Amino acid sequence: MANYSHPEVLVETDWVKQNLGKPGVKLIEIDVDTKSYNAGHISGAVGFNWQTQLQDQVRRDIITKEQFEKLLGDAGVSPDDTVILYGDNNNWFAAYGFWLFKIYGHKDVRLMNGGRVKWLNESDKELTTEPPKITPTQYRAAATDLSLRALLPEVLRVQQEKICNLVDVRSPDEFTGKVIAPPGMTETAQRGGHIPGAKGIPWSTAVGADGTFKPADELRAIYVEQKGVDPQKETIAYCRIGERSSHTWFVLKYLLGLPKVRNYDGSWTEYGSIVGAPIEK
Amino acid sequence: MTARALPRNEKLAEEVIDMNHQTRVYENIFELLPGEENPTPLVRLNKLNPFAEFPLYAKLEWMNPFGSVKDRAAWELLRDLEARGELGDSRGLVEPTSGNTGISLAAMARARGHRLLAVVPNKIPLEKKVLLKIAGAELEVISDELCPAPGLGDGSINLAKTHAKASAKKYVMPNQYENAKNVEAHFKTTGPEIWKQTAGKITHLFTSLGTCGTVTGTAKFLREKNPHVKIIAVQPTEGHDVPGLRNVSQLGVSKLFDASLVDDIIEVDFQLAYTRALELCQNEGLLAGPSSGLIFEGALEIVRRDKNGHGVMIFPDNIFKYTSNMVKHIPGLGSGTQP
Repeated sequence: MANYSHPEVLVETDWVKQNLGKPGVKLIEIDVDTKSYNAGHISGAVGFNWQTQLQDQVRRDIITKEQFEKLLGDAGVSPDDTVILYGDNNNWFAAYGFWLFKIYGHKDVRLMNGGRVKWLNESDKELTTEPPKITPTQYRAAATDLSLRALLPEVLRVQQEKICNLVDVRSPDEFTGKVIAPPGMTETAQRGGHIPGAKGIPWSTAVGADGTFKPADELRAIYVEQKGVDPQKETIAYCRIGERSSHTWFVLKYLLGLPKVRNYDGSWTEYGSIVGAPIEK
Repeated sequence: MTARALPRNEKLAEEVIDMNHQTRVYENIFELLPGEENPTPLVRLNKLNPFAEFPLYAKLEWMNPFGSVKDRAAWELLRDLEARGELGDSRGLVEPTSGNTGISLAAMARARGHRLLAVVPNKIPLEKKVLLKIAGAELEVISDELCPAPGLGDGSINLAKTHAKASAKKYVMPNQYENAKNVEAHFKTTGPEIWKQTAGKITHLFTSLGTCGTVTGTAKFLREKNPHVKIIAVQPTEGHDVPGLRNVSQLGVSKLFDASLVDDIIEVDFQLAYTRALELCQNEGLLAGPSSGLIFEGALEIVRRDKNGHGVMIFPDNIFKYTSNMVKHIPGLGSGTQP
C-alpha cells in the first residue's frame, strides 16, 4: 500500500465494508466532535469519547492500564482482535486512540484511511444509529510501552541539547504565536510560539484532498527532503493537546518508518505555560 | 400572469391568481416570493459611489418575505422535495446552514406542515440561532472550523449528511451545496428580474460566494442574454468572520461553483465588510448586512478600474441579524449601550 513502511496499520474504507461483522474485527469511532457518533456510525462500531474515556478524569494524564483494560473489556474487545479505529477531522483522535492502544500493547490496531468523512461521502457505505451489540470481555493488556510518549523533562532536555527532531504540527498561526489556539478551542497556554528549533509542519501536510494519507514517496519528500526531518535522529511530535501530533506521529513512525518517534501529548498547553521554558516566535 | 409565486399544493393550484402586485391581497405568504413580476427592488447608491459614469444599484434581497436571498433557493428546494414525495408525517428536513437558508426553510417548512433540523456552526451570531428557533427549526449547534484542512469538508455539512444517511426514515437533506435546484432558483428568478429591471443595461453583476447558487444561476441567465456581462465575485479574506460566505479556499464544499461564469474574484479584508455595512446604513439609508458591505467594497474596486458601466450588487440580507457581530468588529459600537 503506497510503499508505506508498515502498511499493515492502515485499512481502506472498502476493506472495512467487506469485513463488517466478521469475528475478530472490532470497529471503534473516536471523534473530536463527540456528537458525530450518536448521529450515525458504521454498523457495529463502538464510540469512545476522548474527553471522558481516554483521559484520566482527575489529573492530566492518559488513562491508566487498568482503565484501558476496563474500557476495552466493556467495549467487547479481546487482545487478539483486529481493532479498526476511525473518526472525524481526518482521524485526529482516532490517531490519538491508536497511540494509546500501542502504549498499552494492543497487537493489531489499524486506522481507517480517510476517516469518517470518506466513509460518509461514499455512496455505497451506510451509517446507523443502532447501538452495537456488545459481549463484554475480560481484557488484559500486554506490557506497557512508554517509549512512544515524550514527557516534559525529556522535551526540555532534547530542546537544550538539540539532539532530536522536534515537529510542531499546529497551524502556521499557532506556530508563530499569532494565536495560542485555533478559534473556539478552550485549551490554551500562557504564551504563544513554538519550542526553539522545532520545524513547523502542519498535520494536514500528510493528507490529500480526500483526507487519505499521501503515498510514502511524497511524505518522504515533504518531511525529510523539504522540511529537514533527519531520519537518523529521534523525533518528537507535538501540537496543542496531543491529538493532531498523534496523526503526524503515526505518519512518521508507521508510514515512513522513522526509527524512534514519540508523541508529546502535554504539547503546547503544557510547554507554553511552563515558567522559564525557552520559546521562539 | 405567472405561476411562479403560486404554491404548488393541490388546493391552490387550480385557482387563478391575480399577479398585479399593486392591487393584490395575498392568500398566503408564499405568493410574495419574488419573480419577474414581483422582483425585489433595485436601489441606486447616491452618496457612497462617486462615479457618475458607473451607477451602482443594490438589489435588496432582504425584501424577500422571509428576509434574505435564501428564500429563492429554499423555496425551490422545498417544493422539489414535496413534488417528489420525499417529505411526510415522519420524515422532515435536515440541512446545514449558517442561518439564512435555515430561517427561510424552517418558516416555509413549518407553514407547510414539515419540520426542519438545522445544523449550524457555533460561530454564527446568536441572533440567527434564536431566529432559527423562532422560525420553528430544531437546532443542532456544533463547534466548527477547528483547523481548516483538506478533506475535512465542513463540520455542519458532515453532521447533516450523517443524519440523512443514518436516519433516512426521519430526515431528507435538500443539500443547498450540491442541489441543482439552488442554481435553478436564481436562473428562474434573480437573473430575469435583474435583466428586466435594468432594461438589459447591466454591465457588471457583483455577488458573494457561499453555496454559489446565486452567482451560478444569475450569471448563467445574464450571460445567455448578453455574453459580455461581467460577473464579479467578492470574497472575504481567509479566516474571516462573515457568516454565510466562503473564501475560495473553502469552496470545495460547494459543487455549484462554475469558474467559467466568473470574470473576477475580488478578495476583500473581511473587516471592511463590517465598516462598509455601517457606511451603507448611515449614508444611504440601506440597512445592509456585512456580506452586502463586502460586496459593495468589491464593487467599488471594479468601478475604479472599469470607470464606465451599470452595476448591480446583490445585497443578501439586512443588518438586523448581525448586531452582536457588528459590536465585535466595529470599535466603539457597543459603548454607551449601558446606563
